[in-house]
Amino acid sequence: MKLHYGLNDLNEIDWLAVLQVIWPFMMVGFILILVALIDLYRHREVRTNVVLWTIIILFFNTIGPILYFTIGRKGAIHHEVRN
Amino acid sequence: MTSLYILTRKEYVQMFREFKILWLPLVFMFLGATQPVITYYLPSILAALGGNQGITIDPTMMQQDGAQVMAATLGSQFDQLGIMVIAIAIMGIIQSDKANGMLDFILTRPVKVGSYIGGKLFSNFSFVALSVTFGYFVSYVYVNFLFSNIPFLTMILALGFYLVWVLFMISFTAMISTIFNGQGVIALISIVCLLLLKVISGLHPIIDLVNPAGMSQQAMMVLITGSMDSQLYGNMVITFIWITLTVTISHYWISEKKYHEN
Repeated sequence: MKLHYGLNDLNEIDWLAVLQVIWPFMMVGFILILVALIDLYRHREVRTNVVLWTIIILFFNTIGPILYFTIGRKGAIHHEVRN
Repeated sequence: MTSLYILTRKEYVQMFREFKILWLPLVFMFLGATQPVITYYLPSILAALGGNQGITIDPTMMQQDGAQVMAATLGSQFDQLGIMVIAIAIMGIIQSDKANGMLDFILTRPVKVGSYIGGKLFSNFSFVALSVTFGYFVSYVYVNFLFSNIPFLTMILALGFYLVWVLFMISFTAMISTIFNGQGVIALISIVCLLLLKVISGLHPIIDLVNPAGMSQQAMMVLITGSMDSQLYGNMVITFIWITLTVTISHYWISEKKYHEN
């Protein structure tokens, strides 16, 4: 097993073929992260644990933004909007 | 302008505010794309990381059939992470109304409990079904691109059977959401029960017949073999009986105002 790859190895990959497949896939994850971050930033005054949520959104791919949207947006109960 | 219509529209406004209308389809598209992409690149990933002393893949192995990859999307993406995502997205539908007093308010109006639950289930099911369909189509496009073609009719048929199981997930989670008060408890109970149902499906034909998760098994069978199992209609009828039962229990619980007691 080869442990360390050099920069030159990157050139050997057929990037066009890989990107064709991977691009939409990455795009979806990226949009999720972006929307979650924008929402967190706009409501940074009322949310609790802003830094923690930022880390969760950025590093726990796909499950992090979902957790933010379901649990994180209801963080501070006294700010909860009554519909 | 029936009350069912108004309650359904209220649900959609709520989903829009919670960004659910954006992230649920995206998550399912992500899940749908994961299985074909990973299956396609698994040999090269193993070749790069496994080398000759770790795991190797037999190079003479037949390339996987498109239908199998599609069935794996249903079985190992939608039925695992998908169940959790649906349960988490649905867990608050009645609980949040109980918590902020909306349910009591609605019941003071001339609204039938039936149309309240009906509006909840209809709006959430139509939306989740749309998201699952999105993810399924993304998976279909990827499978056609990377693997072999699947007959369109088979694919639609399998999706239809799978959506019956999705309807059960939603009505079950709504029932748990009516009975219990804490969000964590609701999520835990519904995820554990639904995953348990999924795990015991496929063990024995008799268990499969009465198991709602058997519908997902049947959808996978339709995809792989292209023909319908003889048990399918029996399983579907029993699944609809289960759905009716869960809806009846939540109807009883709300109309008897049991939710005040705990």
